[in-house]
Amino acid sequence: MLIHEIINQNAVIYNLPAKDKSEVFDLISQKLFEDGSIISKEAFIEDVYLREKEGKTGIGEGVAIPHGKSEAVTKTCIAIAKLKEPIPWETIDGKPVRIVIMFAVDNKDKNNYFVKLMSQVARMLAHEDFCEGLVNAGSKEELLALFQNT
Amino acid sequence: MNIVGITACIAGIAHTYIAKEKLVTAAKELGHSIKIETQGTIGVEDQLTPADVAAADVVIIAADIGVMNLERFVGKRKVEVPISVVMKSPKALIQKVEAKLAEG
Repeated sequence: MLIHEIINQNAVIYNLPAKDKSEVFDLISQKLFEDGSIISKEAFIEDVYLREKEGKTGIGEGVAIPHGKSEAVTKTCIAIAKLKEPIPWETIDGKPVRIVIMFAVDNKDKNNYFVKLMSQVARMLAHEDFCEGLVNAGSKEELLALFQNT
Repeated sequence: MNIVGITACIAGIAHTYIAKEKLVTAAKELGHSIKIETQGTIGVEDQLTPADVAAADVVIIAADIGVMNLERFVGKRKVEVPISVVMKSPKALIQKVEAKLAEG
């Protein structure tokens, strides 16, 4: 399986200027919308917030993994943003967030190849050194390279 | 220890798999053998076999939702925790389980 197949290259953003979670969701959703991966920003963001309410998506070490299973998603994919400045987030270690990995999942995808790829990416995020690499990445290319090296 | 377990989170997309990886990494670092079944959006993966369960010293259930087929573990030592415990401190959890088992 090729992990970069699931990462939406048009929605990998380096130095995203955002001051809070809602700005992050708005800017990432804009990229996904322009790319045709979602058909409605509003509907998608609403579903992402539904998941946010269920529990913390900040997994520690400056990384957050918001995700939306949504009717608005037409192409299951992952967006990545490295934020210009750390922002507050509900996280398990209380640290602010610098890296946002957004999982956009087509509601109809159940036993789908792309959802499987997502689980592979999730497993990478279990490793502190991987998260550290993301937080320290100096460019979009460096971010992407981390996913391709494994 | 010979550990088996299940991870399952609400959306079944991310935390289920991160928690599995964290448990496996922590258990191996502490010198234990481990097999974790995931129950997620894509269904059950790495399903625990009756032989896996029979050989296990302990069952760890890390879940924020109802887990399927719990009847497999009747008579086994079970530790049930929310996913967040595994996300935050997988090693401490395994060490706690070690201590609990040592108590008998």
